[in-house]
Amino acid sequence: MAPAASVSRLLGAGVCAGPLRPRLLQSATPGRARPSGRTLASAATPAVREPEGSIDLNDRILNEPLKHSDFFNVKELFSVRSLFDARVHLGHKAGCRHRFMEPYIFGSRLDQDIIDLEQTAAHLRLALNFTAHVAYRKGIILFVGRNRQFSHLIETTARDCGEYAHTRYFKGGLLTNAPLLLGPKVRLPDLIIFLHTLNNVFEPHVAVRDAAKMQIPTVGVVDTNCNPCLITYPVPGNDDSPPSVHLFCRLFQTIINRAKQKRRHMEALYRLQGQEGPGARGGGPAHPPSLGAYPGDRSSPLPEESGSHACP
Amino acid sequence: MAGSRLQTVGSVFSRTRDLLRAGVLKEKPLWFDIYNAFPPLREPVFRRPRLRYGKAKAAIQDILYPEDRIRAKFYLAYGSGQKAFDLFNPNFKSTCQQFVEKYIELQKLGETDEEKLFVETGKALLAEGVILRRVGEARTQKAGSHVSWESEPSAVKSQTVLENNKPLPEALQGQHMEPSEEQSKALK
Repeated sequence: MAPAASVSRLLGAGVCAGPLRPRLLQSATPGRARPSGRTLASAATPAVREPEGSIDLNDRILNEPLKHSDFFNVKELFSVRSLFDARVHLGHKAGCRHRFMEPYIFGSRLDQDIIDLEQTAAHLRLALNFTAHVAYRKGIILFVGRNRQFSHLIETTARDCGEYAHTRYFKGGLLTNAPLLLGPKVRLPDLIIFLHTLNNVFEPHVAVRDAAKMQIPTVGVVDTNCNPCLITYPVPGNDDSPPSVHLFCRLFQTIINRAKQKRRHMEALYRLQGQEGPGARGGGPAHPPSLGAYPGDRSSPLPEESGSHACP
Repeated sequence: MAGSRLQTVGSVFSRTRDLLRAGVLKEKPLWFDIYNAFPPLREPVFRRPRLRYGKAKAAIQDILYPEDRIRAKFYLAYGSGQKAFDLFNPNFKSTCQQFVEKYIELQKLGETDEEKLFVETGKALLAEGVILRRVGEARTQKAGSHVSWESEPSAVKSQTVLENNKPLPEALQGQHMEPSEEQSKALK
């Protein structure tokens, strides 16, 4: 099966020689078969043509979340206090400071840079929201981090979300020369999340530049010695302390799982509406009670929902 | 599939948007609509990191509190506190922090003379049962007797030792004193 083979090739990319043992943790869901613009060969036409009504439903499923400012209720996941307790505000010494991190630094206490947590909170909300939307649209997410202390944690996080991780030596043309290294039809990641933007010699990770080259958006935790320019959604914060990295991994894992759960709910809802008949589609309820599975999301969508459901 | 590998030219979004508008890129990528709806606070454009020249300095301020003066005097007099810092406990209060809080309490009661306040706080803490070992007294005694008949460089050295805020452990202190004693003996 082409997708599974490509998936295993994408995962086995870190291996230099020997048999293709999957060093990365594979996701359980094999549902990556949808052809997108990233496949490098022409996609085969599907055998069964989708009925016209379902295309409209599909559009609605995809566009609905974009109308709300916080569809996945990201702000309840953390607070400035919880960031402080996880030591996210601690930066490196003033000598290690990168020039472009200066706007995100609150000040320096006895030569150690302290990151402004108000800005971090704003950036983190945007980053988590973006990740959630990408996961909702069934995008491939790749976790990258080269700090050996947290290598295992990042891999287990990726496995628990059902996404991918690459915490080993990043081979040269992995993203830019993917057809050669990974095979002819490989779907590249739709989002790359950096838990550590630097590699083991304190230089920017190659994947930052390569993702910018391949038009892949990135989310990254940038410490005071990192360059945040090329990262689409930087999150200024500590990437060296264990509590900090654990917090970030937990946040990403929670939000990705939440987004996927939401997607399943929306598909079930619209499938039910479709089965009732095309005439009854306009009057269907906005959100069924089953979506109350995670609390706090009832309040935001409901008032706006009634306005957006115009009968076609 | 068409793409633009010029990471230094614009942001990922601007390049994709222009390729779509030109018709070169046929299918909209997954993240495009999401980026449109929720753009980042700063557009991720490449910038070349330039060095600062001359007297230009970063606009980052030092974080200092008025309690830092009290802390400096404490460390000068008592060296590093006897109780080790327990960083795992978020509500931990070190000897220095207890000293500072007591000092501020006594200051609010109306005292103005700094030295008096300092002595009073020391007494109050000893009364509470906190052990405070004076390190600065022994240091000031030894250095004071040297100042009169020492050569210039070593006098300057002992002055900087006194003015130094960082607490010196006693063993190191002993080492400092020995070479200056030898020097003064050689001079004689």
